[in-house]
Amino acid sequence: MKIGGSKEIFEQVLDTDLCSVCGACVGICPYFKVHSGKVAKVFDCDLEKGRCYAQCPKTGVDFEMLSQNYFNQPYTDKPLGTYQKIVAAKAGDMLQGDRFQNGGSVTALISFALESGAIEGAVLTDAEGLIPVPKIVENAGDALKCAATKYAAAHTAAAVNEAAKDGRTNLGVVGTACQLTGIAQMRANPLEKSDFMDPVSLTIGLFCTWSLDARKFKDYISGKIDPATITGMDVPPPPAEVFVVKTGNSTTELPLSEVRTLIPNGCSVCPDMTAEWADISVGAFEGKKEWNTLIIRTARGEELVNKAVAAGYLKLDEFSAAGLDHLTTGAGNKKKRALKKQNQEVS
Amino acid sequence: MTALTDPKSNQHHLVMGNEAFARGALEAGVAVVAGYPGTPSSEIVESLANVSKERNLYVEWSTNEKVAMEVAAAGSFAKLRSLCVLKQNGVNVASDFFLHLAGSGTRGGMLVLTCEDPGALSSVNEGDSRHFSRMLEIPLLEPGDFQEAKDITKWGFELSEALKCPVMIRSVTRLSHASGNITFGDLPETDHKAEFKHDGFILDPDTGPMISAPVAYKHGLQQQKVQQAIKMFETSPFNTYTGPGNPELLLITSSACNLYSREAIKLLGVQHRVGLLKLGTTWPLPPKLLEKHLRMANKVLIVEEVIPFLEESVKILAMELAEEIGIKKFFGKRDGTIPSTNELNPDIVIGALCGILGMDYAGLTAEYSEKANTHLFLGAPAREGTFCAGCPHRASFWNISQALKLDNNEGFVCGDIGCYSMAVLPAGYSTLKTLHAMGSGTGVASGFGKLGQFGMDQPVFSVCGDSTFYHAVLPALVNAVHHKSDITLVVLDNSGTAMTGFQPHPGTEKDARGEEALQMNIESICKSIGATVRVADPFDFDETQKTIFELMGMKGGVKVLVLRQICALSPEKKGIRWFDVVVHESQCLGENCGCNRLCTRVFKCPGLVWDTEKKVSKIDDAICVGCGVCSSVCPVGAIENMEVK
Repeated sequence: MKIGGSKEIFEQVLDTDLCSVCGACVGICPYFKVHSGKVAKVFDCDLEKGRCYAQCPKTGVDFEMLSQNYFNQPYTDKPLGTYQKIVAAKAGDMLQGDRFQNGGSVTALISFALESGAIEGAVLTDAEGLIPVPKIVENAGDALKCAATKYAAAHTAAAVNEAAKDGRTNLGVVGTACQLTGIAQMRANPLEKSDFMDPVSLTIGLFCTWSLDARKFKDYISGKIDPATITGMDVPPPPAEVFVVKTGNSTTELPLSEVRTLIPNGCSVCPDMTAEWADISVGAFEGKKEWNTLIIRTARGEELVNKAVAAGYLKLDEFSAAGLDHLTTGAGNKKKRALKKQNQEVS
Repeated sequence: MTALTDPKSNQHHLVMGNEAFARGALEAGVAVVAGYPGTPSSEIVESLANVSKERNLYVEWSTNEKVAMEVAAAGSFAKLRSLCVLKQNGVNVASDFFLHLAGSGTRGGMLVLTCEDPGALSSVNEGDSRHFSRMLEIPLLEPGDFQEAKDITKWGFELSEALKCPVMIRSVTRLSHASGNITFGDLPETDHKAEFKHDGFILDPDTGPMISAPVAYKHGLQQQKVQQAIKMFETSPFNTYTGPGNPELLLITSSACNLYSREAIKLLGVQHRVGLLKLGTTWPLPPKLLEKHLRMANKVLIVEEVIPFLEESVKILAMELAEEIGIKKFFGKRDGTIPSTNELNPDIVIGALCGILGMDYAGLTAEYSEKANTHLFLGAPAREGTFCAGCPHRASFWNISQALKLDNNEGFVCGDIGCYSMAVLPAGYSTLKTLHAMGSGTGVASGFGKLGQFGMDQPVFSVCGDSTFYHAVLPALVNAVHHKSDITLVVLDNSGTAMTGFQPHPGTEKDARGEEALQMNIESICKSIGATVRVADPFDFDETQKTIFELMGMKGGVKVLVLRQICALSPEKKGIRWFDVVVHESQCLGENCGCNRLCTRVFKCPGLVWDTEKKVSKIDDAICVGCGVCSSVCPVGAIENMEVK
């Protein structure tokens, strides 16, 4: 695949409104930066080849190369990607918290990995108001503060780029498909830099069907609710068709049809619902409230899950055949929609 | 500087044109001098300020040119000789008062001396103010060499007093900024006495009020003065003819073009074929003098810079005189013989003369010309305008440009006149998107800031310097505040009128004569009129950008950010290094992905250079002033500010 530079990113991604603000092009150099949830190029760079282009999940992804690199096997075009097994999970008794999106499995796994020394730090997503900001935490207490879904598009991959620049290693990362695709490409050392060191040793993927343009989302919500009072947000399973915003003891239901207009165009070409380039992918368990779906993709992922269970950080349960069917259909539909949209964009 | 106040007359002195004007004013006994700095005029006021104590003068750098003309007029109304100095744009600024002054008339001799800039060597226009003399119906004098610059100035005061109206003198860069030998005259006593008489009859020019009403009467009086001027100009020694009694071609010229024309005629050796009529009194033209010379030849070439002002005046007279002098063939700007833009030079005049006279002339051999052209266009490295090493404007525009790009809402900056005008170029990251007159950035921004009504939601910024703030930004700012225009004004306060040589302004402690003045404060003024004000140091990128975002986040109303950092060339700072700046070569990423020469390719301080062999950046110790800003630019910390050894 031909690697381009920042000029081509503009032509192919930013000018065509395909950016989903994953942050893969940010934190590498002084030219691409994120401000208030939007990627900007602050000065021109005239390099013909740049990591910005090579790492962007929207300039074209070499799935075969990534699969060999990540799973040591050819790319599978199955809806859920490569995996070893799927289980139901929730946070164990060792984890105390009340703001988990669903079962708290992500916070549980990261907390355990940090506390057990499996990783030295974790790249998570915090928020300033409604604008997400990536954050590197060193302990379980700080990890807990980053719990809960942010909904707005987050440039989490930028923090991984920064960490690589700072020479950090053995980090865990929690991210959605676009962020983890960017990070997977970064870990493949696309420009073959001789001094490259992989900063990441654990990746936890988040199921994602779409995110929201951070600025539009902020403007939309600010017109209805004081963002400072928001304690949580949720999209209940169909057929609810609402976006729920919790403030203190009350909840406000916003029509999902309105919220969907805030989805960046870039999400519509994303084929990956379950974050395939991860050791473990985590999402809601539709039909089993306060439990998560866990897709264990790598041996390292499985080892971490087993140890977390043994240490009381995580509880597991069987995943249902109906659940698997439902998940596979959902992930497959996203691939179909994305391919259709990509064909439209190309033609 | 020469000894401008050398009392010995009949001595030769090598002086700059602007010093010749200053000496002429001193010989005339000028008492009040006011101006606003502007190249190529600034040295006149500066020279006179330097001798103000010795010669008992009142000299000031006024807030703007209109005020300068008003200050000078007060001197004239009080029977003192007064001088107002400005450049071409300044005449526009002062023109409203100028029109009324022409109507009211003057008492003590008053000169308006404008030094103009054909070719815009140090301007963003090549305006030609000679039109004002015709529009305002006041006499115009244009010296043709350095001696005349002094002598015509001295005579101008007498003319003004005789006519009781202001007299305009026009110089150009090549007279003001070139030097020549002149002979000094005597200096008068300096015991000036000021008194403004105002209780006399309303129409009494010496004792009545100074007003332009009754308008029709005063206007008629003005036109009588023009007729009186014509009579005086018929015999003026500043109008000279050199050449044969019946030349093939009459060349009429004025100002620096007199020098170019003389040189061209001499180089071509056509003294016997071309007559040179050099005019020092270019409006109103003396008809009898013109009739006498136009009779001599059937072909007439008019050589002047910029617009065909003299050409049109001559043609009007020639038409009126046609019965007596016959039909002439004219060459000049209107037929394309002489270009209507840019400066002239002897080569252009030679080209025109050769065309008319049917001659060939090559100043250089073909071989030499070719070689010179090759070296000029291919050999010289490409250079673009840039800010000096350590210039605060580079840092300011680095911050403003980045903040607007990061904000990503198509924000833009309206600019005006100062060193910072260069921010239209890559030197200032092409940040300025409009650039007009002094103060216009804020006026234009004030308008943009009200276009929200029509759906415009781009962030609107303007910039101005500290001197410009007082000169013409204040009315625009008041307008913006009053109308709640949604704009951010960034005042690039480098503590002086830096571009023209650090002349004082209302924000400085001293006045033009070095005496203590009441110093004003930009942020207090802005606060008092209701703007939201912040102050930051542009060298502190984080603080400055944070402040810009804070101000951008405030919707509605005027925000002012004062970016304060003294000019690197100011007398207070020049030569003082804050840091010994070093580049750690092993850390420099150079052309690699992750930097791509941000410091030498984008930031581009001349103190940083690219080592083409080692492929790393390095400090040019001869140019670096040690401000240390580039250490904040480097993305990997390869540039370090060390304590000065």
